Amino acid sequence: MSAGASETHYRRGLNRRHREWLAAALFVAPDALGLLVFLGVPMVLALGLGFFEVTGFGGIAFAGLDNYKKMFVDPLFLDSLKVTVTYVVGFVVGVFVVSLGLALLVQQKIPFVGFFRSMFFLPHVVSLVVVGLVWQFMLTDGVGVVNQVLEAVGIGGRSWLGDPQFALATVVLVSIWFFMGYYMIIFLAGLQEIPREYYDAAKIDGARSWQLFRHITWPLLKPTSFFVLLVSTITGVAGLQAFDLIYVMTKGGPANSTSLGIFYIYQQAFQFNDYGYAAAMSSFLVLLLLAATALMFVLTKGGRFETE
Amino acid sequence: MISSAFKGPDEVNSVNLIPSAPTLDNFRYVFTEVPFLRYMLNSLFVATTVTVAALWFHSMAAYALARLRFPGRDVLFFAIFSTLLVALPIILVPLFILVRELGMLDSYVGLIVPAIFNAFGIFLLRQFYLGMPQELEDAAFVDGCGYWGVYWHVILPLSRPILAALAVFFFLANWNSFLWPLTITQNQDLWMIQVAISSFQTQYAGAWNYIMAAATVAAIPTMALFFVFQRQLVESIKTSGFK
Amino acid sequence: MKGIEKLGREETGGISRRRFLARGAAFAFAAAVTGPGLTVLSGCGGGSGSGALKFWQFYGPGGEVEAQGKWFEDAVKGWNQGHDTKIELQYIPVTEYLNGSKLQTAFSSNEGPDLFIISPGDFLRYYNGGVLQDLTPYIEDEARNDLYPNVMATREVEGKIFGIPMEVEPMAMYYSVKAFEDAGLSEADIPETWDQLLDVAGRLKKGNTFGLLFDTNPGYYQNFTWYPFMWQGGGDAVAPSGNESAFDSKGAVQALQFWQDAIESGVAPRKALGTGANDIVANLAQGHAAIQNCGIWAVAALEANAPDFEYGTFKLPLPPGGEYTTDLGGWAFVANSKGQNPEEAGRFCAWALASMSESSIGRGVDWIAGADSTVAPRKSVQRQAEQQGAFDEGPMKFFREEAFPGGRGEPRYTPEVYKAVSDAIQAVQLDGQSAQGQADAAAEKIDTFLQTYDGARIV
Repeated sequence: MSAGASETHYRRGLNRRHREWLAAALFVAPDALGLLVFLGVPMVLALGLGFFEVTGFGGIAFAGLDNYKKMFVDPLFLDSLKVTVTYVVGFVVGVFVVSLGLALLVQQKIPFVGFFRSMFFLPHVVSLVVVGLVWQFMLTDGVGVVNQVLEAVGIGGRSWLGDPQFALATVVLVSIWFFMGYYMIIFLAGLQEIPREYYDAAKIDGARSWQLFRHITWPLLKPTSFFVLLVSTITGVAGLQAFDLIYVMTKGGPANSTSLGIFYIYQQAFQFNDYGYAAAMSSFLVLLLLAATALMFVLTKGGRFETE
Repeated sequence: MISSAFKGPDEVNSVNLIPSAPTLDNFRYVFTEVPFLRYMLNSLFVATTVTVAALWFHSMAAYALARLRFPGRDVLFFAIFSTLLVALPIILVPLFILVRELGMLDSYVGLIVPAIFNAFGIFLLRQFYLGMPQELEDAAFVDGCGYWGVYWHVILPLSRPILAALAVFFFLANWNSFLWPLTITQNQDLWMIQVAISSFQTQYAGAWNYIMAAATVAAIPTMALFFVFQRQLVESIKTSGFK
Repeated sequence: MKGIEKLGREETGGISRRRFLARGAAFAFAAAVTGPGLTVLSGCGGGSGSGALKFWQFYGPGGEVEAQGKWFEDAVKGWNQGHDTKIELQYIPVTEYLNGSKLQTAFSSNEGPDLFIISPGDFLRYYNGGVLQDLTPYIEDEARNDLYPNVMATREVEGKIFGIPMEVEPMAMYYSVKAFEDAGLSEADIPETWDQLLDVAGRLKKGNTFGLLFDTNPGYYQNFTWYPFMWQGGGDAVAPSGNESAFDSKGAVQALQFWQDAIESGVAPRKALGTGANDIVANLAQGHAAIQNCGIWAVAALEANAPDFEYGTFKLPLPPGGEYTTDLGGWAFVANSKGQNPEEAGRFCAWALASMSESSIGRGVDWIAGADSTVAPRKSVQRQAEQQGAFDEGPMKFFREEAFPGGRGEPRYTPEVYKAVSDAIQAVQLDGQSAQGQADAAAEKIDTFLQTYDGARIV
């Protein structure tokens, strides 16, 4: 593309630093512009609606901070925040441990490793609607496969999706199951990046596998781990997948026990036509996420871990 | 799912794993009653185009963000990153209006272009490029390569494993995307596969046997793709410059 | 490529280059001032195409009952043959139509369809949004008198008609004949009271089969199926005056308690299969429950997908001293008053479903007794379907003669009222909360809302 050509053109007139700036600008430009137009601008517009009362049929009126005030006295929103936090913590921790474990497992030279990788990734291949439906069968009250299996260990007969005590935990587990193959692949790619020589050298020194993990894998995997933590947190809070899964499996029930923030926001916007309120609530969620990620970026020096 | 795809409508929701009277009728229905093949081709075309364009743009941007030094780099990266924080449903209405004003409603362009831009890929690639050894780049500069040359001859080949993984992700995400294609298409000829699958549901009863058959058919290409690429993911390590 | 062609055509036909640039500028402006900018943008889009009127509905090519999609096609074909303004059917997958974002996104950006269908639960949302066209001028007096007043009540505001129903769908109970026989029960055991129902359900619960199924998914549909139990005891979500809630009443409290008892006694599952308790094939026919609370459409669904399944029907049982009533659902044609040509769209609604012409009546009959199985919203259609023998026997006869009389139209509560009631049902039914406490809380929420509500009357 033009990056190379323009760069040669300017090469004589610019010093190395400026050439680097220009090259960077050209490299970043297509994505930056696209993101600005197709995400940045709609984002600003959408979140700006938080200061308005919007009917969804063209009616709009300035509302100041009304939507924001309403938000903090709306018990349904506050409850949905609690549900979100529980969901995200359970999901992020669970998916991190499981997918890292799987990645370490399937990078070994064991027979049929390709088959195992595919098996773990399989859940992610099917659309969420179908995933939700299949789990609904398996979790059927009393008689589903899951209950039949659990019967054997004496804790069967529960309604995993119909009881507010268990529904959220069930949804967390299904989410982990759905995403584990996905993050496994990312970890796998991260693991492949670690030069094999490090391990070979350590092995000669007589290191055990736990020590290899502790002193080589873990530190060198940090950029990947950082990515997985951050992205899975965002997926949990604002991801379409969490929303879809809730939608198919529980519709926010029973008794709002799985009503995630994103679900409640969607309901307000598209079923109750209160865009302004939905925008105010999403702004709040975005701010929370922004604060959390900014903190992580600062702590990790922009995800570079330069001190390591 | 696969078992259900072979069950009749009166049995599909029952818990037995093996259909009592396996049937191919569901598949026949899926392919004959609606132009399912056309929907698959639409998805194939859109998902492939998005994947190729996205990999190219994202790897360029990520290279600059990870390996080049320029003022405001971290701020720019954080701004790009922050577009991940808002879910599609929230921005659906303004995005729809924008795309309409650009004249892209009800067209392949409208299906493809907005789907390309996604900070996820940039972020992932950046994390990988951060960890690459500097020596290879330096060697290329010594050989007289410009930045483009370094990107093209050094960075891209080195990032083949992660690009393979990303290709699977992007293809899959677009193959399975539902909300956006549904929102901007009215012409049924432009339907993508997930929209078509959801059309097998009726008001009071999902035709689950058809849905399962359709979903099984839809999962075949993605599974095949994954199988090929996961091999690539491992194979390419052997040829890369790391060892 | 097709997409490019299309793009080109739209630009040359619809938007000139200068206008395009002007819109670009408007957009930049919009980005700066956010909210108001959005209205600037949406202000210029509506009705830009001069093509056919768009008719959005959810009976499509992949549909389970083929005749339903065809009925819509035939209606539109019939209109297009005799009129200059053409109509084009556009099909939206049903889950998306019911709970999705596609309609809302379209309306928010002034791209709403010219014609669409709505249920009573959605009526006020669209009416108060100002997008429903008054259809009264297009309906002859004779046809107006032909429509049942109790069915029309939820589609009228101040004596004007804003939607024309295509069907009337009463709720009742379905039971599996085989399950009854296996439990040693006969027709004589068919329950008439709530207590009897729980008792019979207890005797039917066996192995993998629950005795009784009420809906468990939160949503408009669950509320819809629960209302009759509240009404039977004289309760109501909004009092007839329209100014206050009547939810903290005995009728509502005992209905909440009843649904809780069904769950806590273990005779009813906490989760339905398939799409929910509206899905009869996935639940009753496949043995998840032996008795299911469902609507008249289940007759057609069973015939299409479980033709060998033997079932019976009975009226909703009553609480002590209760008065029989059921809920009458059903969808209606409406026209978008902000569409390309609201008048022609309005004329189409009247022509299709509310004209005294033979074809209009025949169309009604085809729907209620052919494509679907429902009661008619009009006397003439009902009469003709009965003459053809559609209600002579079996479940249809039951619905016409027993379930339907005394039925009440599905209420058109606003989202705020819906949500308050829904939360109460869910908390009592599935979370073991106190019925009285939840009823009081919901009544308070509804009262607070009604104090500031200024849309069309709710009841």
